[in-house]
Amino acid sequence: MSATRHREAPAGVLSSLTKIGAIALLALVAVYGVLSAGMGTDAIPEGSVAYAAAYWYGTLLQVFFAAIIIAVAVNIGVRQNVGKQWLLVGLGVAAFAIGDIIWTVLELHLGLDPYPSVADVFYVLEYAFFVAAVVLAIRGYRALTDVRLPILVAGSVAIGLVVLIHELLLRPYIFAAGTEELGLGGLVVSTLYPLGDALFMVAPAIALALAVRTLGTGRLAWPWWIVVVGALVFAVTDAGYAYADWAGIGLTAILDLGWLTANLVFAIAALVARDAYRTR
Amino acid sequence: MSEFSNTVVSTLGPFVGQTAADTCVRATALSLGKTTDDLSAADLPALGANVRRLLGPIAPAAVIEDLIAEIERGIA
Repeated sequence: MSATRHREAPAGVLSSLTKIGAIALLALVAVYGVLSAGMGTDAIPEGSVAYAAAYWYGTLLQVFFAAIIIAVAVNIGVRQNVGKQWLLVGLGVAAFAIGDIIWTVLELHLGLDPYPSVADVFYVLEYAFFVAAVVLAIRGYRALTDVRLPILVAGSVAIGLVVLIHELLLRPYIFAAGTEELGLGGLVVSTLYPLGDALFMVAPAIALALAVRTLGTGRLAWPWWIVVVGALVFAVTDAGYAYADWAGIGLTAILDLGWLTANLVFAIAALVARDAYRTR
Repeated sequence: MSEFSNTVVSTLGPFVGQTAADTCVRATALSLGKTTDDLSAADLPALGANVRRLLGPIAPAAVIEDLIAEIERGIA
């Protein structure tokens, strides 16, 4: 009887809290989008209290997203494999949020150029936590499916992307500028971000998507599909930022929203996980 | 597939998808030296062990126990 109930009611899996929560989070990010556009066009003048408030609003949203994911992980139970996976995703977003706080203080309050800076250490940490989460998740599927093919495909894509990044970005721009123009720290982080996106975001996301495919439309897969989308948004944003920066076309409010959107997507994934892991 | 196997797949399917649910049934049959058609309510302990082993890394323990209990109710 209960089995029939499950079969007939997959559409009712998501709770009102998740639906309303996701819409509220989207609205919060949309508000930042408007503020960010205002900051970019001097509608909110630089140096004003409104500018500082808008800046901090975006930064604190990242903290909020990290808190949501970590809360879900704790709720699942961090001693369990699946709880650990979400904790690692949450710690990744938390690391990014710490990076954003440092960046905000350096740029907004100390008037320093935050790139490169200690903020980059925390931004890069999101890669490490994300990869650890995905590796743990993929390992979980070993008993259900052959995960070698997803890893092989992801590895091949990663190699292709690294070659592409080397030819289109690193060799003509970043390596050409070298330490003379960028300094050692600048050279390292300018190299690390595009490579990090390929190796530690896109490739793991592809491997995860292929492994999770085993679950088909099963609800345990839903949150991971959303995580894959978040990782791709993150990587595309980084690629867009690098391109805009090096091509000299200027940074836009949309680009600014990319990292916020990626971590928003991770937070929504955690909310969906909360529901997907419920049987009643 | 036996009615037992069908109950297992229809209970696990919405959570882990048809393929993974089938894998749980086939792994149980294999561990008992049976076919999926031969599985019955008496094989529930073996099924539980296989479901815990296969789904443990991807689902919370409480969810797995709930699903096993639901299968038990479904075949009772």
